[in-house]
Amino acid sequence: MHSYLISGLHVSSELELPGATPEDAHVRPVDVSIRRSAVPMTLDGATASGPTWEMVGEMFLLRVPALARFGITAGCDIAVEIEPGATERDAASFVHGPAFGILLHQRGVLVLHGAAVAKDGRAIAICGPSGGGKSTLAAALCGNGCSFVTDDICVVGLDEHGQPIVLPDGKQLKLWKESIDQLNLADRQGEAVRKTVEKYYIDPFDARGQPSPLSAIYVLREARPPLKTGIGALALPDAMRMLDYEGYRPGLRAKIGQKPKRLAHTAAMLGHAKVFRLVRLRGFEHLQETVAALRAHWDSLDR
Amino acid sequence: MKTPSGIVWLASFPKSGSTWFRIFLANLRAGENAPADINNLDERSGIASDRNVFEAATMLDSSLLTYDEIDNLRPRVYAAIAAEEVGQRWIKVHDAYTLTPNGEAMFGSCAARAAVYLVRDPRDVAVSLAYHNNTTINDTIKGMNSPDNAVCQGRKGMVLQLRQKLLNWSGHVTSWLDQTDVPVHTLRYEDLLTDPLAYFSAALGFAETTATPAEIERAMRNAEFTKLQRQEIDKGFAERMSRTAPFFRSGRAGGWRDKLTTEQISCIEERHGPIMQRLGYELSTTPRSATANDRRAAL
Repeated sequence: MHSYLISGLHVSSELELPGATPEDAHVRPVDVSIRRSAVPMTLDGATASGPTWEMVGEMFLLRVPALARFGITAGCDIAVEIEPGATERDAASFVHGPAFGILLHQRGVLVLHGAAVAKDGRAIAICGPSGGGKSTLAAALCGNGCSFVTDDICVVGLDEHGQPIVLPDGKQLKLWKESIDQLNLADRQGEAVRKTVEKYYIDPFDARGQPSPLSAIYVLREARPPLKTGIGALALPDAMRMLDYEGYRPGLRAKIGQKPKRLAHTAAMLGHAKVFRLVRLRGFEHLQETVAALRAHWDSLDR
Repeated sequence: MKTPSGIVWLASFPKSGSTWFRIFLANLRAGENAPADINNLDERSGIASDRNVFEAATMLDSSLLTYDEIDNLRPRVYAAIAAEEVGQRWIKVHDAYTLTPNGEAMFGSCAARAAVYLVRDPRDVAVSLAYHNNTTINDTIKGMNSPDNAVCQGRKGMVLQLRQKLLNWSGHVTSWLDQTDVPVHTLRYEDLLTDPLAYFSAALGFAETTATPAEIERAMRNAEFTKLQRQEIDKGFAERMSRTAPFFRSGRAGGWRDKLTTEQISCIEERHGPIMQRLGYELSTTPRSATANDRRAAL
């Protein structure tokens, strides 16, 4: 049995999760169990469904064809059935991403689709579309004195004072080969997320990511008309709308519900962390300019 | 008469006029007297290869999937979009009409009720595409002649769109025009230039999109090429790729005559002669492609 701390949850798993940092077992009560077991092909009486998923009540079925099926229940249990011919490692890469993201929605927590880095004990989140360069920018910031907190799934909790804190997802940053080469991180390149995909785990930049108070959220956009390069604050209504859109799988979140809890949570977060639109030129040749602009802006916030 | 619901593919090889057609549709939908802002179009259709649309439908992280695994899921993603659609939705597609590794049609009738296939003289496409991608015309022609031609398929990084198999130019054309699953209407870019009212109207008629002649004419005027150029000069255009050439650069037919060398013209016509002739594009050289073997090679 493997133990992990993922997005603030104590996880006990029969599957080894690649790229995840193990924690001491049996220290605390388990929040989430991940186990190998039979998972049905379909759910009886499904109330919502898509090409690869079905849900009914607190049960969610996720199918990755020819690879695995995941039964995700009540925010505390993930059953995994691996399809014939697929490997446990292939299946595990989907547990710690899509399946866990769905589980977090079942728990009604606030999940942003983004990476987070910290400096001097305070974090920023970087949100944006898939393929938009979030992880690459996070890696570049880590090469510039920041510490890595989370990648892709960014859970924002509230501490006992109602302050928003980013909870590390407990796994290593993942980067495409091109980013690894451009950022000179070949010496940190770990295993591929899957044998068939040229995306790799990156050995940690520093000690395990720590939960960190959230200073700001930057929504990444490409400098294309009418957007011009720069960093601008979003007014509250725009920030709310943007966060709704930048959440992890917003369509799913709407189906799973928990809207009042999420809205209250978002409002509490925005009381402490501003949302900015970071418009930058795309391409590795502009990456360091973006890092410099972001660092300068972030420094001005924390002063 | 009510416009029937469902997906209509707006399919084309890149740089064949689909953006112009989309802007026309956006103006038609907006129904305003003034031209729609090209950077804020009233459209919700997007492109079929949008990575975020795929992830929203499947709940999967596409970066964990291989291109073939993604392709196997795409027909189901489009069927799901179609099932939720209450109105008519035009979706742009640059992929060729291909089968997935599982043998399913990627853009089949389980998702779409019709397709409009926009085609442009490949000699003009070569010039336009080279400007668009900031590459040489020779490299562009090489891509247009290669049966393995695809975009967004770098294995070492990820972009906002999914991999799209284009095949070679002739293969792209025949993949859409010769399939019998989805009713398809062929629309030549050059005909749109010559008589936009007639040809926009015919395409809308085929898709059973309800619009009065006055509405079509107004949308057409708002989408005139010179007005699009004016907007791009004034405000830029979000879809422009090249840092040097504007997106709405020339737009005319036959510009290739001043831009292509004799060798480049031969290279295109030898490879695509039969399909060009089938579509009414006159060849300027005498191609060697008179034999059945050459015709097969062109496909």
